[in-house]
Amino acid sequence: MMRTVSAAETAPTTYPWAVHAEELRVRAGRHLAVDGLDLTLGTGVHGLLGPNGAGKTTLMRALATVVKPAGGKLTLLGESVDGRADLRRVRRGLGYLPQAFGFYPRFTVREFVEYMAWLKEMPKNAVPGAVQRAIDRVGLTAKAGARMKTLSGGMLRRAGIAQAIVNDPAVLLLDEPTVGLDPEQRLDFRELLRDLGVDSCVLVSTHLVEDVAVACTDVVLINEGRLVYQGTPEDLVAQGGQGDAGDSPSERGYSALLRAHRAEAAR
Amino acid sequence: MSHRRENRSNEAFVLLGVRRSLEATDEQELVRRTAAGERRAFDELYRRTSPWLLARLRRRCADDDLVADVMQETYLAVWRAASSFGGPGATGSAVGWLWTIAAHRLVDAFRRRSRQSLVPAALLAETVAPAAEDVVLAGRVGQELEQALLELPPDARRVLQAMVLDGFSVRETSLLLGVPENTVKSKARRARISLRAALS
Amino acid sequence: MTRHPSPAVIARYADREAELDEVTLWAVEVHLEDCAQCRALVAGSATDDTRALLARVTAGLDDGIAAGPAPARVRRWAVARHRWLVWQLGPWITMTVAVLGCAVLLQAVAPDMPSLVALLAPIAPLPAVAVAWSRRHDPAWELIAGTPAAGLAMLLRRTAAILAVVIPALALASSRTGFSLALTLLPCLAFTAATIALGSFIGVRRAATLLGSAWALAVVVPTVVTADLSPVLQPGSSPLWALLTLTLAGFAATQARGYRLLSSHN
Repeated sequence: MMRTVSAAETAPTTYPWAVHAEELRVRAGRHLAVDGLDLTLGTGVHGLLGPNGAGKTTLMRALATVVKPAGGKLTLLGESVDGRADLRRVRRGLGYLPQAFGFYPRFTVREFVEYMAWLKEMPKNAVPGAVQRAIDRVGLTAKAGARMKTLSGGMLRRAGIAQAIVNDPAVLLLDEPTVGLDPEQRLDFRELLRDLGVDSCVLVSTHLVEDVAVACTDVVLINEGRLVYQGTPEDLVAQGGQGDAGDSPSERGYSALLRAHRAEAAR
Repeated sequence: MSHRRENRSNEAFVLLGVRRSLEATDEQELVRRTAAGERRAFDELYRRTSPWLLARLRRRCADDDLVADVMQETYLAVWRAASSFGGPGATGSAVGWLWTIAAHRLVDAFRRRSRQSLVPAALLAETVAPAAEDVVLAGRVGQELEQALLELPPDARRVLQAMVLDGFSVRETSLLLGVPENTVKSKARRARISLRAALS
Repeated sequence: MTRHPSPAVIARYADREAELDEVTLWAVEVHLEDCAQCRALVAGSATDDTRALLARVTAGLDDGIAAGPAPARVRRWAVARHRWLVWQLGPWITMTVAVLGCAVLLQAVAPDMPSLVALLAPIAPLPAVAVAWSRRHDPAWELIAGTPAAGLAMLLRRTAAILAVVIPALALASSRTGFSLALTLLPCLAFTAATIALGSFIGVRRAATLLGSAWALAVVVPTVVTADLSPVLQPGSSPLWALLTLTLAGFAATQARGYRLLSSHN
């Protein structure tokens, strides 16, 4: 059985970055949660850090095309995301795990992932294999037939990750994926993250600085809707000094950068 | 696997006289019966397809450990997910489905390996000139296609094999062959053009 | 199926060490996907290391099967059903049908009142349609909103599921109360199309509220006050309603773009 390779598939990639935002502004309700953000993301695992209210979730929602940006330019996988664009092609290459997600209560884990696979317009034949693969990759094989209602918080999170990766997306957005995971599960998750980062662009939003330091190739720090810092975890450590708050070098770097940004803003 | 025959409760049921000869059933039927939980059908499916799958995987990856892992994961996935494989509406054969699962597990295994900075086990590529009788006996593919394939540079053939024969996407091909995505795309483009010219 | 390669070629294929040119390799692999006979030949040509590898896989497989879950029974319809009818619609559709039932009963009790069913018909599906496309009511909204399938097609599917219940209910109600079937169903369809069309601009919930209130103020209130059926629902107006329905439906169908970035209105 040979498959045909389309011209579109072999057309040269015109875009250098998977995610490119310029002066991005996004509202959350009335409040402008993302205010003039410039961001460029390529292949790899990027950790998104910031204090509460920094606009992390709103930024994720804008990147997931769940919310329309109020201003600025946003380009995902080469397509410009604004009111005019046909987002179907972009959305097929996206995976998104929201911070809080609901589900239809009667679903089992497999049915839930399968439903999301259908929503992502995956080819019908590929769905059963892809669903099983996603379930296996997050480690929910034993629970594949269990109802979503009966899952614990950590397992629910993993089911959410499974639906995000079922279509093998080129851009994967995970908002607080490690909430509720026990330490061993968090270790497994870091392995999964690293695998995912090999050939796709992953953005992980978390408030656990350690998660970011260990699993990410790149750290993005935002505060009050603006980009404060983007660099490698080692550079983040280098920003911190003895006088800064934090139990680990990464946390100290984080506090130092935040302090500097707040001082800058106050001026 | 044959020693398992004694200890299944459904074996007794089967032996009672509903003993259908598994030899006559095709792979699609075997998958369907695996989905119903029939271990014998699964064993038969494994017996029939594993040598072929092993040979095919070994020709794509030099690392036997990785191949063994992929085989194991593939058949476990078949055991667990058999019920969601099509049914009357499914297009494509059971064997093709089996290969798709194996191919994806191969990609996942390569991702794990490249993350660990182990040199990804290279895809084997034979660039041996064909003996005359082999080409004739190889069967369909067609004279023109064979000719066109021969004229392609070997790396373009490899890309084409990964994309057309194995069904990998551009991203997956780039991971497995260890070349950048744009390189894969340009080779595939040139190959398509020259093949289309040969086949039209 | 292609012609069988010779057994010698198959034996060379089975042995990784044996050299085989790429073209023959390609042909053999294409053939093997379709031919069980030749696959059996591959099995027969196994070398020692192949057999050892297979034995290893077999052992691991036995362990894995014993440890893991058995093949799951898949409820094929469970996922498919959710493409059309989602749980949160259930209560609202039930409410709609119940209200229509009450209208029928009231009509039976007070026959000289202007037809309640006719007054309710246009706005009967609107609450359910509003809920079908609402962030507040759809538990999986956050997940659905960013998927390629989210958009007008999905809203139409859900609306079709709603109408599949509401239209027969209306038909039944209007036949029970003896009111014109066309004048019950056509306004209902027209208002549904209008909600969808308007919803692409201001959001489905707001559109439903707006249209529902407009109907209530313009038709229901005067009818109840004057005890005289509004001219809009007089027998001669059905062709106009049909035309309106078709126009609005056509217009709604072109509004796919407005539904792509839906959350701006929800």
